[in-house]
Amino acid sequence: MRHAFSVRIGPVGFRVGSAWPQPIAAMRRLYAGYPPPRDGIADFTVRLEPTRPWRRWLRPSAMVRGDFTLPDAAPLPLAQGLLAAEMGMNLQMALGARRWLLLHASCVERDGRALLMSGHSGAGKSTLSALLGERGWRLLGDEFALLDPASGVIHPFPRPVSLKNEAIAVMAAEVAADRLGPLIPGTPKGDIRHLRPAADALARMDEPATPAMLLFPRFGASADVRPMGAIETFVRLTQASTNYVVLGEAGFAALTGLVRGVPAMAIDYPDTAAAIDLVERLWAETAR
Amino acid sequence: MPPAGDVPPSGAGATRRRLMLGAAAASTVVTIRPALAATVGSVMNCEVPVPDPRLGAGKWIDGRGQLVDAGTAGSFRPPNRPLKAEDIRKAMQGANFPGADYETSRAYMAYIRKLQNGMSGFTCYQSLQMPRA
Amino acid sequence: MPVYRVDPPACRLSVEAEGMTLLYHRPSGITHVLLPPAPEILTALADGPADPATLAARLAVSHAIGDGDGEDAAAVIAARLGELAAVGLVAVAPGIGGRVAG
Repeated sequence: MRHAFSVRIGPVGFRVGSAWPQPIAAMRRLYAGYPPPRDGIADFTVRLEPTRPWRRWLRPSAMVRGDFTLPDAAPLPLAQGLLAAEMGMNLQMALGARRWLLLHASCVERDGRALLMSGHSGAGKSTLSALLGERGWRLLGDEFALLDPASGVIHPFPRPVSLKNEAIAVMAAEVAADRLGPLIPGTPKGDIRHLRPAADALARMDEPATPAMLLFPRFGASADVRPMGAIETFVRLTQASTNYVVLGEAGFAALTGLVRGVPAMAIDYPDTAAAIDLVERLWAETAR
Repeated sequence: MPPAGDVPPSGAGATRRRLMLGAAAASTVVTIRPALAATVGSVMNCEVPVPDPRLGAGKWIDGRGQLVDAGTAGSFRPPNRPLKAEDIRKAMQGANFPGADYETSRAYMAYIRKLQNGMSGFTCYQSLQMPRA
Repeated sequence: MPVYRVDPPACRLSVEAEGMTLLYHRPSGITHVLLPPAPEILTALADGPADPATLAARLAVSHAIGDGDGEDAAAVIAARLGELAAVGLVAVAPGIGGRVAG
């Protein structure tokens, strides 16, 4: 590829190639301070290519290709090339990761213990983890939690946080401007802006944490907490995992171990301030 | 067979555990079918060609979502471009596709609902069916 | 009555919680959530192929059977076996007077 960028995020090395310079330049800025892949060798490759050769110049749109691809994938306009690269990296993890049970969850850490937050897109888990990451917690990741089947620990995967719509202003008020990527308007998910995690999240990206609490947040009329049993938690997490089936027995053992060892709750919250209060209170009361 | 309640559930020295059989019509097995498509879909941009070009190039769509010859009465010209995931999500909630009227949009949705594994767009549509608040 | 058989116990990993059983079936790689009496039926059937009536007798030895809604135990167990066969956890034993479970 004409243009390329390599980066390591926790235990995973990526190489992103692009037919155009713009997405690579944006990645270099966004990923300032991240290390290169170990021994220079990437685990996964993502390529941003024109759908047809002439589409490199004419109404350029980037098709995401890589080691693992999805049928029906649609190209994105070149102006959204950074998002295309991020989606491509997510897809490689979702389809290709074998060393960990991947949970679609955000994760923060304090005192070596991890708080996992899983839920549907739009439930606010990304915003919540980003805010906690600025308020005394270490961000382990906003998209995927990497559960180690052998040890039960969570490996950090501190990608830039994908802020959507209202969350952009919330976080812009919270962090230095140089940690925010470009505003990408009009994407399939609305406006998107990436946030580079705080310096300690990058510096300690090789330091795993032991799961201590599982939350399933969602917006609600008022703050509410409902303890969740091990079975319901297990079933919900199988639905939140991209590779539960692929991992087979190791996935079953990892997930049953997690839900038996860690308290889980569904929480409703009316706004992010209430959510932060709720999380802190539950953590103080519950996390062992 | 002893009636229920003869033996305490966990009495001292009890060697026989109590077992409620329940009703024949009850269901006691739930098989977990992880929704790979849901999670993958949430990290990807995808689209559905209507119709699948390998199966119905040049065909139109009737009100029940079947492919019919172009110009057939009561059928609709297919969209010029594959339908975007976000537009399908909105159409599933009753909205029309961009540039399409109500009847046409319903015909496209009827086609999409009939997609089978292996057809273009199936994975994309699967990913949209998963609930996400 | 069809005769059913089940894979040896080593083919199943199970974890109990809240009165339910999470079961991983090694040959298929599929996970199931079971409610009573399904796990007990699998355990009893592991002693050897059996029809519903035979299984009901086996279960009555190891358990105090509550018949719940007053239905015939063998009929309930037959329904459970049909359900377990449909998801591949038990199978009709070939050549022992069985028929294919529907």
